[in-house]
Amino acid sequence: MLITFISIIFIATAIYLAAGILFTIIFQAKGLSKIDEGVHGSSWAFKIIIIPGCIVFWPVLLRKWIRSK
Amino acid sequence: MGASYSAVGWNRQKKIYDWIIFSFCVVYLATFIVLTAIFNPDYTFETVLIRSTSTLAVLILHVILSIGPLTRLNKKFFPLLYNRRHLGVTMFCIILVHGAFGILQFHSLGNVNPFVSLFTSNTHYDSIADFPFQALGFFALIIFFLMAITSHDFWLHNLSPKIWKTLHMFVYLAYFLVVMHVMLGVIQYETNPVFIIIMIIGAITLISLHLVAGLKEARKDKINYNLKEEGFVFVCGVTEIEESRAKIFCIDKERIAVYKHEDKLYAIHNVCKHQGGPLGEGKIIDGCITCPWHGYQYLPQNGQSPPPFKEMVNTYDVKVKDNKVWLNPMPYAEGTERPGANIR
Ligand code: HEM
Ligand code: FES
Repeated sequence: MLITFISIIFIATAIYLAAGILFTIIFQAKGLSKIDEGVHGSSWAFKIIIIPGCIVFWPVLLRKWIRSK
Repeated sequence: MGASYSAVGWNRQKKIYDWIIFSFCVVYLATFIVLTAIFNPDYTFETVLIRSTSTLAVLILHVILSIGPLTRLNKKFFPLLYNRRHLGVTMFCIILVHGAFGILQFHSLGNVNPFVSLFTSNTHYDSIADFPFQALGFFALIIFFLMAITSHDFWLHNLSPKIWKTLHMFVYLAYFLVVMHVMLGVIQYETNPVFIIIMIIGAITLISLHLVAGLKEARKDKINYNLKEEGFVFVCGVTEIEESRAKIFCIDKERIAVYKHEDKLYAIHNVCKHQGGPLGEGKIIDGCITCPWHGYQYLPQNGQSPPPFKEMVNTYDVKVKDNKVWLNPMPYAEGTERPGANIR
């Protein structure tokens, strides 16, 4: 029972993060500079350092990206 | 502010601090490993790594949590505040090694997924002596992880300062989880109570520091400004404010900073748009009110950051009569130009 429950949470988290990875690849290429003007002229190291956050908080960024269009 | 992001906000001073932190960590870990090899040669390398990183991280965590109240008690500690973010990320990297090896050593050998095993290999959730303490450590680690990955100003802007601040306040929950992780964990395998005693002393120190700093702040905010006239409140004498500096007044629960700059007085909201730093504890540099925490700047006459930046704070009316300063606590919209009050 407990094992099933924990396994479901684990799989759900994995799917969420996989979606985050997919999102981050597209977002870094196309969306990043649209949602925050501070990104213009920033270094490649900056773009790498925010990758983990993009994977975890992707729904927030997606919402901002859609609104900026 | 609005300028383009760099990966890490390094300057000369921060580099020196980071080198000190880095060297301290290396020396600590090396000493721990050497001492264990001498006195407990039968310990495995994994165990040494788990224990050395955990104790170092807990030490750093105590330093991190002391910095806030210390700066409120004494301005000398401000340089530590500037570096708190790097200290936090360092701590996360260290404790990640502890967590990873904990999972590796205890949960990766069976045929159950290690993360599932972490919660299900021991199900004595109703017992104190056998409590699955590693689950507590796991949740603390998740909180530290979320804090570490959002430690860049990009996240402050894009999650919004409010959500960002809330997320980072969870450090106190994480601290509580760590205390329980250690307390419940150590009683399962250690007869020596020294760990528990150190944790208790650490917790008492932190709680006292927070209480003392909080009381000091509360006392300052309680002062009543009784003398009122057409919306203006008498706050202090003109000479009580130093040139290029401010005094902070808390009226109707709002903190307002009154700055003296080139024979005039200006009032702005005390809360910095960056991370809520106390603007009234900064000073005027190059004609701008400069936040003591990370150096965001605002023009005294309109509360706006100089172009190209876009931050703005509320402004207020001040007047001077017979060398007395009167302040109107009704805020103007953020960035509204106010003439200031002539001292002479
Ligand atoms: C996934 C997360 C974690 C796991 C699996 C984990 C696992 C463990 C294990 C197995 C021990 C006992 C080690 C031994 O036999 O000596 C331990 C102890 C300890 N843990 Fe954790 N831990 C985690 C997270 C944390 C975090 C986030 C902190 C603090 C910031 C922490 C601090 C400590 C301390 C201070 C001890 C006692 C000293 C020691 O024996 O190493 N742990 N942990
Ligand atoms: S709080 Fe960071 S600059 Fe003011």
